[in-house]
Amino acid sequence: MNKFRLNIDGKEVYGLPGQTILEVCRENDIFIPTLCYDERTEIYGACGLCMVEWEGSPKLWKACATEIAPNMVIRTNTKRVFESRKTNLELLLSNHKGDCRPPCMLACPAGTDCQGYVGLIANGQYEEAIKLIRDNIPLPGAIGRVCPHPCEKACRRGLVDEPIAIANLKRFAADTDEFGEDPFVPECEPDTGKNVAVIGGGPYGISMAYFLRQMGHDVTIYEAMPKLGGMLRYGIPEYRLPKEVLDEEIAVLEKMGITMVTNTKIGEDISFEAIKRDFDAVCVGIGAWVSTGVRCKGEDADGVIGGIDFLRKVVRNEKIDLGKNVAIVGGGNTAMDACRTAVRLGADKVYNIYRRTKDEMPADMIEIEEAEEEGVIFLNLTNPLEIISDENGHCRQMVLQVMELGEPDASGRRAPVPVEGKTETIDVDTVILAIGQRVNAEGIDGVELTRKGGIVYDKDTFMTAIPGVFAGGDCGNDKISIAVESIGDAKKSCLVVDAYLRGEEIKYEPNYYVTKKDVTPANSSMQKREKTTSLRLYSAMMKSRQSKKQTAVWNADVKTTLNVSSSAMQICMM
Amino acid sequence: MKVVVGQGSCGIATGAKKTSNEFERIVAEKNLTNVVIDKTGCIGTCYLEPIVDVYNEEGALEARYVKCTPDKVAEIVDEHLIGGKPVEKYVIPTEDEAFLSQQQRIVLRNCGKINPEKIEEYLAVGGYEAARKVITSMTPDQVIEEIKVSGLRGRGGAGFPTWFKWNAIKSNKGAQKYMVCNADEGDPGAFMDRSVLEGDPHSLLEGMIIGGFAAGATEGIIYCRAEYPLAIARLEIAMAQAREKGYLGKNLFGTDFSFDIRIKAGAGAFVCGEETALIASLEGERGMPRLKPPFPAAKGYWKLPTNINNVETYANVAWIIANGGQAFADRGAEKSKGSKVFALAGKIKKGGLVEVPMGMTLREVIYNIGGGIKNDKEFKAVQMGGPSGGCIPAQLIDTPVTYEDINKTGAIVGSGGMIVMDEDTCMVDMARFFLDFTRKESCGKCNYCRIGTKRMLEILERITKGEGKDGDIELLEELAGKIKDGAMCGLGQTAPNPVLTTIRYFRNEYEDHIYNHKCTAKSCKALIHYEITDDCKGCGKCARNCPVNAITGEKKQVHKIDPNVCIKCGKCEDNCAFGAVKRV
Repeated sequence: MNKFRLNIDGKEVYGLPGQTILEVCRENDIFIPTLCYDERTEIYGACGLCMVEWEGSPKLWKACATEIAPNMVIRTNTKRVFESRKTNLELLLSNHKGDCRPPCMLACPAGTDCQGYVGLIANGQYEEAIKLIRDNIPLPGAIGRVCPHPCEKACRRGLVDEPIAIANLKRFAADTDEFGEDPFVPECEPDTGKNVAVIGGGPYGISMAYFLRQMGHDVTIYEAMPKLGGMLRYGIPEYRLPKEVLDEEIAVLEKMGITMVTNTKIGEDISFEAIKRDFDAVCVGIGAWVSTGVRCKGEDADGVIGGIDFLRKVVRNEKIDLGKNVAIVGGGNTAMDACRTAVRLGADKVYNIYRRTKDEMPADMIEIEEAEEEGVIFLNLTNPLEIISDENGHCRQMVLQVMELGEPDASGRRAPVPVEGKTETIDVDTVILAIGQRVNAEGIDGVELTRKGGIVYDKDTFMTAIPGVFAGGDCGNDKISIAVESIGDAKKSCLVVDAYLRGEEIKYEPNYYVTKKDVTPANSSMQKREKTTSLRLYSAMMKSRQSKKQTAVWNADVKTTLNVSSSAMQICMM
Repeated sequence: MKVVVGQGSCGIATGAKKTSNEFERIVAEKNLTNVVIDKTGCIGTCYLEPIVDVYNEEGALEARYVKCTPDKVAEIVDEHLIGGKPVEKYVIPTEDEAFLSQQQRIVLRNCGKINPEKIEEYLAVGGYEAARKVITSMTPDQVIEEIKVSGLRGRGGAGFPTWFKWNAIKSNKGAQKYMVCNADEGDPGAFMDRSVLEGDPHSLLEGMIIGGFAAGATEGIIYCRAEYPLAIARLEIAMAQAREKGYLGKNLFGTDFSFDIRIKAGAGAFVCGEETALIASLEGERGMPRLKPPFPAAKGYWKLPTNINNVETYANVAWIIANGGQAFADRGAEKSKGSKVFALAGKIKKGGLVEVPMGMTLREVIYNIGGGIKNDKEFKAVQMGGPSGGCIPAQLIDTPVTYEDINKTGAIVGSGGMIVMDEDTCMVDMARFFLDFTRKESCGKCNYCRIGTKRMLEILERITKGEGKDGDIELLEELAGKIKDGAMCGLGQTAPNPVLTTIRYFRNEYEDHIYNHKCTAKSCKALIHYEITDDCKGCGKCARNCPVNAITGEKKQVHKIDPNVCIKCGKCEDNCAFGAVKRV
């Protein structure tokens, strides 16, 4: 059959009579978008996205439906064509009522498909559930236990009674898998011949290694501490996250073929220069391991210790002499962890010093409630003024400024204001300052640092001032946050690093999602329904337990995480 | 003598059946054996219905009585039918005669004259002679040539040359070919086709037979909206009679040519006037258009060659064959031949159907034939082509009615609806009305039409509520352009026309709404309020008629309207005998 010659975007192409413009374009790698064309069905032609210009015709033509003619001159990339497509999409979106993706997924910094895996678990498809979770989360058991779950805050079910227990369900899926017979190990692409060094084995480093290894790159993690896990291991107490869980998840990384070099600090044991020289790309995730002070008089006394330093010592079984009275300053989860750990270490009186009220505390409510149950004395609306030491330089007393709540500040929270002249004094043997952390980037030579000492990287490419050196997690851009945020950084930047290794430059571009904004709470009678979800969940989990090992781990930590009484547990076990 | 009562839908709506019954009753009572009571379709002067024509024994019209309600019947019987003297006071006034005398009727040639339910009357005026001539003595090519000479163009809206369509289907191969008549007249305010269907159904059948012969089709289908029950009933009668006479069915006029017609009643969706949607509906599918090509002439009904013309187009055909294509071409303008039927509606003195040669100016149609604007208000614009058309402002009133000249104004001739607007019509609201119509009638298949018209309507709605924003006009223009470019079928492609033409000619009104929060025509409720001036005599009529008791005042004192209670229904203004209620 004689072919027609035609010109598309200045390119001479040929097509058979009867072919449409779209077909010819596809054969010649000329991209024309469409939403309704499918070669298996009759041409529908309703989406109107495949519009093209046909020279000599005043109107636009639908490429999917227009048959080619000899010597046709077609333009697919003119302003008019683009404008038409753009307006068309805008119209579609303007009429779009609903959510492109569920709010839980959008709220998750790592973009976990919560709706997806909750649904799979509901279907009993646990294997599929863990595979879906592991698309985004390499540490599902750990994250399922410790994540402050922004997903649940966004959960629409909360408008009816209480949110779906998304985080606990993740933990359930992970435990079922990891303590089961044959834990899931993601497949890795064939080797690319490129190697990557990941500095820091915390959530960011582990995730980065996990994602890049799956893409076929050779990955080595350098960790200064004896074991991987970062803050999850050295900053979170055992009762919240049994380290056995972490070990199982790190074992998966090993099975994937990731090399782990522990007890090796970059800048001390190996120079950063050598790392840069030996690897095609470097990802820095050294975290924020320095506790910040409160800048009160006497805070350099003996017996004053940083919150994460304290927790790390406990994890490493180092000797700690707390004395009788312990005061923990701060209102976040680290402060709660420190309070509850101090209780467990046998302190007589454990005080929590926080300058606002419990309502303003950033810690999870369950942590606050349980700390209170365990006997922590909350001295809300107080702020350290002075730490008084004895002749040996050891702290003995702490003077507290009494505060009150003033007008709401820029963040919307009511700002604490000192009540003039009103103070309190408490006896202390140990003061734990859990009010903040900062980065110590010593050893990572040549990177640009923020004023606070964080590593500067480009928001879109995650690359630092040094080409080929990327950063993420707590150590970068002064963005000290929760573990899943670090995992999210790795998820977002792994594509950029992969592209870099292939010699391309790309930027991370978030997807555009339409969200429903007019959702209101269900009527109040529904909200008063008994909050039995946790119990039902626990019951389901118990019924499907698979191994003794798993049950043992559960029994160790499930009570605290689920906050169910032992009698309730008994009922559930029946 | 013969008494003919006009019984089109317009006549029946004004009580023609009662008038007819009254004639029958009195004539029977008085035992006037020489008087026959008959009926006919619409003569066109709908504003004068019921109309009764009295013919003498020789068949000449003796008198035409207008607004002939049953109470006038006895007097007419006594004085005219018995006494032989027409009752002058009921006879049509000379200025209304002019409504008819200035027309040149081809399509409406028999409307209002013959009884549509009697084939004999159609035969008496030369009916089916053209069909006989074509089938027995002409070739299909000769027929198409004759139509080509006439210059007949599609009367349904687009104005596509009829001969071209017929030639296309003739040349296309197919086991079966179909002649389809689009009788899905959907424009608000248009009733040309209905009038032909009700008043002269045989002229349509004859046109379709001739078309079928030319195209090589053996089956005709009339797609008629179910809202036209009278039209369907009369078509059924006409088809039965034609079949009986051998004009429909097998071997017409003793030749090999067979052709029959059936009716498909449609549910009245506007989009089914679009030919591919019409075909989908004929096939029993949801009435949604599809992409063209292939055109129906190649792949239409059941993917077979199909020709679709509108009622009015077919109704011209028999006349053209009988009188020659040249006779048709001699009428009208250079590129727009023949005559065209228009439905005059809106703020016009004499609303009704008129058939005029193409090329006549709008002024002649509106003032000379239509008698000008109601209540002698000022002419503002005329909407032509229904929701797909556009408005033509007063300054262009001397535009000749041809396809080309009307297109230049941004409007279209369309199927022939002419909606006349006076100074009280808000042009923004008018555009909103038509867009509301097309938005509701959009089939929803393509995004541009389904969502684009909705967005445009929302903008127009907020403008008429005084909530318009800076940039709205430009946004409307941009959206309109994109919709015209991107919509799949004629409905969507033409939907922005009323908006574009009103912006083009009445941009100041849009700006007044948006920037000054004023409705220029004082019509948009959200932007006006009512006041009582000192001309008030304190009669209290307005207060009595106010449905919400917003008006107070002592007797013989100037009354007051409470703006917080007033719902702006306008009853006070309508009821004030002194013109003391003003819209501000």
